[in-house]
Amino acid sequence: MYQILLVEDNADDVELALRAFRKSDLVNTVTIARDGVEALDYLLATGSRADRADNPLPDLVLLDIKLPRIDGLQVLERLRANPRTKLVPIVVLTSSIEPKDLLTCYTLGANSYVRKPIDFQQFSKALQQIGSYWLQTNQAPPLPGTT
Amino acid sequence: MRSDDSYRALFLSHPQPMWLYDRTTSAIIDVNDAALAHFGVRREAFLETYTGNLSAGPGANGRTFEIVSQPCEFDGRAAVLVALHEVTALRQAEGALARVEDEQRRQTTEFEERVRERTVQLQAAISELEAFSYSVSHDLRAPLRSIAGFSQALIEDAGPSLSADARDDIARIIAAAGRMDHLINDLLTLSMVTRAEMTRDSVDVSELANRIVAELADMSPTRPVVTTVAPGMVAHGDPRLVRVALENLLTNAWKFTSRRERACIEVGQMDSDGASPIFFVRDNGVGFDPAFADKLFGPFQRLHDASDFPGSGIGLATVRRIVLRHGGRVWAESRPGQGASFFFTLQ
Repeated sequence: MYQILLVEDNADDVELALRAFRKSDLVNTVTIARDGVEALDYLLATGSRADRADNPLPDLVLLDIKLPRIDGLQVLERLRANPRTKLVPIVVLTSSIEPKDLLTCYTLGANSYVRKPIDFQQFSKALQQIGSYWLQTNQAPPLPGTT
Repeated sequence: MRSDDSYRALFLSHPQPMWLYDRTTSAIIDVNDAALAHFGVRREAFLETYTGNLSAGPGANGRTFEIVSQPCEFDGRAAVLVALHEVTALRQAEGALARVEDEQRRQTTEFEERVRERTVQLQAAISELEAFSYSVSHDLRAPLRSIAGFSQALIEDAGPSLSADARDDIARIIAAAGRMDHLINDLLTLSMVTRAEMTRDSVDVSELANRIVAELADMSPTRPVVTTVAPGMVAHGDPRLVRVALENLLTNAWKFTSRRERACIEVGQMDSDGASPIFFVRDNGVGFDPAFADKLFGPFQRLHDASDFPGSGIGLATVRRIVLRHGGRVWAESRPGQGASFFFTLQ
């Protein structure tokens, strides 16, 4: 059973992503964070999620760049700076193909960068490929609290 | 030999103001008429009241003089011969030069100030453009994904209970969202091409063209297109931008030959007599009316019906910007039904 944290503020995109995951044969628990603060609290067990300290980290973080409060690039930077989350697989999932965004994300330590396709079938396919690669094909780093 | 009187007459009538004084006592020994006229005094007064080490003083009508002193022997005495040289023209020229230099300095400062202002304005415009294209890239695509995604969801969820017409309507919505996605992508490329930093390098045009042609063939494997790429073509340009330009030209050639049974596309280089190489992409497609040749490269200009040949009308505008950024030229030749040739240089 794989755990995914989806950091996404757009409710439609959340719904489409959940729909795509439901169709995939991977059995996942998808947790949603609606902005950068929620994502950091969840992953670093701080603020409203201080109770999570002993809970396992997700197997994969899907991170949007443009987020309310703290944006995805800052989330990425803080996660990579923290020993607890510095190795957690992070796939940036965004609308942007600005070369600057790509460069910044990879520089800050994103594992992968995927542009959300407009077409839903392609979007589903992209999410299934991300899931199957990062959860099944790829050997995850030994993380604190990984099952 | 002339008499002393003759030489004195020469001295007295010499147009240059001159006088002679005793080096020991500074007493004036003699003075010529030009000097008296210069100082505006009579001979007696000059001899009595003036001493040798006079200053030149200002001349009449703003004329300027300089003193030149020459030590000499006169009647066995140590003396000094003084002559006034008029330097009015020299001083005027110097003054004019100084004024020109001042003006130049002022203009340079003004120019630098203006460049600074413009640079600030330009940078502001560029960041605005960046913010805009970022917004286009991110915010405009999100609702599009919702439109396409939920239309697809509707077909999946309610498909069996929908009429064929309703399903067709939804398919049209999805297709339209896809076209708008293409348009946004093309606009982003155009904006990227304008803003991207340029690094010139040697570009293997032949290899690049072959690779793009292979990609196009992969996308429509059932179309037999005869492509000829001249070997050994090399350009000096930004590899990424040259690729975008060539991609657009070849995609166009591919598209506009789609009705030909025997589609032919040629990429080559023309003899340019040592000047920067002229590259061309030639096809035997539908061509265009040469009357519109100059319109071809403007953004959103389309010479063909969108249902015949779909496209955003941004491709050739992108090519033009890339070529202009390289300081090159781009032009096209065609006749309707006779194919089209696009030429460009990158210097």
